[in-house]
Amino acid sequence: MPKRYKSYSELILNGLFKENPIFRLALSMCPAVGISTTLMNGFLLGIAVLFVQVASSFTVSVLKNFIHPKIRIPTYTLVIATWVTVIDLTLSAFFPTAYKAMGIFIRLIVTFSIILMRLEVFAAREPVLPSVVDGFGMGLGFMFGMMTLGFIRELLGAGQLFGHQVLPVKPLLFFILPVAGFFCVGFMMAVFNYVEYLFKKAREKRIKG
Amino acid sequence: MRDFVRIIIGLTIACVMSALIMGTVFMFTIKAKKHNQYMEFKEAMYGVLGYTHERPAPKSLKFHEVYRYILHEPNKNYMGYMIPTKDGKYCFVALTFDGKFLYKKKVNLSEEEARDDSVRDKALSKVLGPSIKFFYANKTIVATNNGKRVAYLLPRSFPGFKTTIKVLLALRPDYTIKGLEILEEEEDPGLGGEIKRKYFKNQFKGLTYDEVLKLKVIKKPLPEEYRKCLEEEEKFTKEEIEKIRAKYQDAHIYALTGATITSTCVTNGIKNIVKKFAYRIKVLDRIIKNYKINAAI
Repeated sequence: MPKRYKSYSELILNGLFKENPIFRLALSMCPAVGISTTLMNGFLLGIAVLFVQVASSFTVSVLKNFIHPKIRIPTYTLVIATWVTVIDLTLSAFFPTAYKAMGIFIRLIVTFSIILMRLEVFAAREPVLPSVVDGFGMGLGFMFGMMTLGFIRELLGAGQLFGHQVLPVKPLLFFILPVAGFFCVGFMMAVFNYVEYLFKKAREKRIKG
Repeated sequence: MRDFVRIIIGLTIACVMSALIMGTVFMFTIKAKKHNQYMEFKEAMYGVLGYTHERPAPKSLKFHEVYRYILHEPNKNYMGYMIPTKDGKYCFVALTFDGKFLYKKKVNLSEEEARDDSVRDKALSKVLGPSIKFFYANKTIVATNNGKRVAYLLPRSFPGFKTTIKVLLALRPDYTIKGLEILEEEEDPGLGGEIKRKYFKNQFKGLTYDEVLKLKVIKKPLPEEYRKCLEEEEKFTKEEIEKIRAKYQDAHIYALTGATITSTCVTNGIKNIVKKFAYRIKVLDRIIKNYKINAAI
């Protein structure tokens, strides 16, 4: 099997831009649309997903030889659910203010397709350290996506950032509603595609010239 | 077949392992969690009474909880109150729904212990016996200062636009609204979620009992002067606030832009709470007086 990565920094950049979970892989669209109403929500959920992704990548990578291939998906789900419960309990006990802001969203992380997909595609086949780095990159990519969406929606919908009023008016009230989440995701996907197109063009030019 | 057994064993081990991890974390965090919840609630209680870090509450201010239960016997339903008595224990009083006295019993439970739901339920089932089924309805917290009633605090919930809204309402002894705090809501952020903002919830402050019963939601923009007064109360003097309130505060609530349904839900919910409570506390006071319960409230 050929090695699928050159360096750890490439793995992280891969998660952030090249295979960004929300804008390139189009996974976990549900939370991206539903929860990214404010910058703070996006940030907090991003942190939680980062933790769960890294922890489950590590666990699965360590246990990959013991997991029976026919029941790997239930086992992965179990691993994710365990880590989600751990972070849910810990947050509610020691960071009550953060927990208050996120509430039920934390428990939703169990269903995020991005985490399961990363376990199946990467952590189940690679050694421990690259798996952890890959999980970290993917988590960062998810956080980046959520925060971008949260930034656009909070600024345009409520005229606020992190709950502080920055614009004197609410420019487009409609951006707070779930529907606008789809527009934002679509817009960002277009931006990502366009940037990739520009890169491609530049590369072709370089090869020709 | 061999695969089958291996799968069963593998899954069982995985489940047991994860249960062990979750159980351990739970054991470590449950105490801190309960403490957090209580502290949060206590802060909300002080906040709704108008006390802050700069203006702390007097030491003589005490909170006494009165719990209301619904009881089922095989062929009749009635309700009961757990009332704190002066010796620091509780007295259980059973009433019919129209306020007739049935019986009273002593519950050997201190106020501190009674705050834990499961402890309270256990003690109560011991007192009432196994044939009576009971369900917790709600609680009223009576704030007393040197033995005198200062306020009633009502943690209640009612349906909002999307899910249930939990509020903490403070009433003066004459049922004038002293303050309103939204504890939990899941309305649309930026629209219905604005009920948490001061400019909405402070509109209820100072409404008298008669005004609350007539309360209506009007779809008019909130006057700028009134909004400023509601948002930053501490910047105004008492006379100024009274003047502005007299000018704008009538038996109506200014609806939130884009969230008329939520505003109506909150207004109707508050109306219901105040109406029911005023009736119930009158009945309770009569019972306490007539049947010589040595109540701490």
